[in-house]
Amino acid sequence: MARGRTPTYQVANSNKKRYPDNVMAYVMIAPIVIMLGIFVIYPAIQATVLSFYDWSFYEESEFVGVKNFTDVLTDPKFRASILLGLQFVAMTLPIQLIGAFLFASLATAVNRRFADVLKVSIYIPTIISGVITSVIFTIIYDYSGGILNAVLGSLDLPGQAWLGDPKLALAAIAAPAVWLGMGLTCLIMIAGMLDIPASFYESADVEGANWWQKTIYITIPQLKNVLLYLIITGFVASIQQFELPLIMTSGGPMSSTELPNLFIFNHFRGDPYVGYSIAAALLLFVVLGSVSALIFRVLNSEKLVD
Amino acid sequence: MTTTTRRRLGAGTALLASVALLAACGSGTPGQSADEDAEAGDREVVEFWHHTFTTPENEWYEQVVEDFNASQDEIFVNSTVVPGDAWDEKMTAAQAAGTAPDVYPVPGRLNDGVRLGSYLALDDLMPAEAFEQVTDSAAEISQVDGTWYGYPLLLEPQRVLYWNKDIFAEAGLDPETPPTSWDELYEACEQIQPVLSDGQFCIETFSDQDTLAWSTVAEQMHVAGHLPISEDWTTAEATDPAYEELIEHYTTLYDEGYIPRQSLAAGNSAAPFGEGEVAMITQGSWGMSELVADYPEVVESTGVAPTVTSDGNQTETLTTVGNFKWVIDANTENAEATAAFIEFALAGDTDVLLPFFVNTQFTKAPAREDVAEAVNADPGAAEAPWAQVITEDVVPYTIGEPLYPWDVNVAMGLAIQQSMMGDVAPADALAEANATIEQIIEREDLPTNREELGD
Repeated sequence: MARGRTPTYQVANSNKKRYPDNVMAYVMIAPIVIMLGIFVIYPAIQATVLSFYDWSFYEESEFVGVKNFTDVLTDPKFRASILLGLQFVAMTLPIQLIGAFLFASLATAVNRRFADVLKVSIYIPTIISGVITSVIFTIIYDYSGGILNAVLGSLDLPGQAWLGDPKLALAAIAAPAVWLGMGLTCLIMIAGMLDIPASFYESADVEGANWWQKTIYITIPQLKNVLLYLIITGFVASIQQFELPLIMTSGGPMSSTELPNLFIFNHFRGDPYVGYSIAAALLLFVVLGSVSALIFRVLNSEKLVD
Repeated sequence: MTTTTRRRLGAGTALLASVALLAACGSGTPGQSADEDAEAGDREVVEFWHHTFTTPENEWYEQVVEDFNASQDEIFVNSTVVPGDAWDEKMTAAQAAGTAPDVYPVPGRLNDGVRLGSYLALDDLMPAEAFEQVTDSAAEISQVDGTWYGYPLLLEPQRVLYWNKDIFAEAGLDPETPPTSWDELYEACEQIQPVLSDGQFCIETFSDQDTLAWSTVAEQMHVAGHLPISEDWTTAEATDPAYEELIEHYTTLYDEGYIPRQSLAAGNSAAPFGEGEVAMITQGSWGMSELVADYPEVVESTGVAPTVTSDGNQTETLTTVGNFKWVIDANTENAEATAAFIEFALAGDTDVLLPFFVNTQFTKAPAREDVAEAVNADPGAAEAPWAQVITEDVVPYTIGEPLYPWDVNVAMGLAIQQSMMGDVAPADALAEANATIEQIIEREDLPTNREELGD
């Protein structure tokens, strides 16, 4: 709010008006602030402190300085897991965004009733838990008895070890990841598309623009902020994928599906001091923050001008 | 803050979670329901966690807790079953939060845990005669530097060969003569392949990275005469050409289609054999108790033999011997009560342990001489021909599990899998494993740890 030289009585008056709102605002955000404090901020501070120790549960913990961080940074397996995470993002995010865009274009072009059917059907996977999805897809991919190999068999093609072959396993996990993430991405895109003023398209029609031109010059620029949001959230969700590889492959074969979170988790399970795992988690946090900042930088969010 | 950090780390969070759990249970003891509280009354409560095992084992665990609780009115054992795949993270989280159970079973070796101060010594908690009957091999895995840190329950070979006599006969092979060497195995598979239908394979052997990690240790020793790290843990020795032969063996099985290209079941399960999906399977001796419990129809046509070896020599380094012993958590507040429970379940009357070994179909070796005698005298032993194979043809030729960290095993498991499934030459895969082991030596200061272990 701009503050000029307002007469005193006006300030007092407006304070009186604003005051109850302030109290109500604090009351309303208090629960989440308290919860974040207990479950995020406090553990984060504690984790940061612990990352400088060989944290022992039974003896005096030993201060080791930055050893845990150097151990992680010099561990080729950690680097490989980050690169694998980026590869997984490249396999899932573009398909998810392009698929969702095409689907949203369709859903905004058809009549209302059919659009409702489309929206509901694309959203259903979103409400299925990742664990259930993992189990379902594991059954689909089963080597001797899975639906997918049965289909291949009926076409006289050899069955594939979808989850047992290092060349196929990551792609086999990417499929359910896209399937799970598509629903929400679609709904957000549809909302963004419905927000674009119809007059833009009407003007374009008058000029004789085709669907391609309208998409390139109107829809995509107008969706810029929505796309930015979806790219960042999609990137973070995708690189942090955890349940699918945990249940479907445990990170194998040959660590070909050991995404960063699963790498840290697998390490944590057998780590006598835990410090390495905490340091790895903090470094992953840094990686995610840096990449998100970079995406912001490149796409440069700004207020749309109608 | 990443999800992992948020969710998995920090004792503060774990403590809070246990507080929440308390509130949810309406009980004064973590992980205990109000019903159990009522049952425990004002007795001293001992928390006991154990893994999920095969059906007869799970039943024995349940029974022994029930019997102990009924046998006296001072102590109440509260037993919690933890699924195998959740064990490590659940235990680590509990240890971090200071809510680890008082007593729990441990496989493998105790050295690392003792070095970290995780277990209480049992010598002062249990009478000396409690240990008198323990066999030498069981004592070896339960003691560190002559001190008892665990009380052993069983020993079991981690690799034996099961073969389906019906399929052997159908393929024109002698149903009573299993292969003993790699070459004989290839020949047998060559003959078996034509009689298999789609989705059936000659043999299922351990093929995922983690299972290869623990299951091939004895093979590594057998082919090379040493393990992939020097005796004093100062240098990696994974580049021995003999290991290349081992890798080529697995590659042959994979390339020829003798083994499935994807594991058919969990690494420690004999289910594929029970389901008739394979003509042979390499599995721990526990596989037989699984077959008897869950696939009784195949028992008649199942043969059990020592595992195949590179050269057919079956009197040297056949397999590592797995084991379970129970330990007391170093942070326990009721050590005496916990020791009393261990004494009742594992160190007491042989009748308590007899059902365990009988119901698991004589597939495990007892850790006590007197229990072994009682088990051998059981009439059921005569109807379990495999029991003799395991105790006479396999157990004498086993080696203990390695003392070095698990990550060393994983490096070797990965090397085998990389060559088997990938396009990596065995020598290159081993060079990578060697570099990884060197890194572990450096990171965990293994030479010092080795010195602390003594001989």
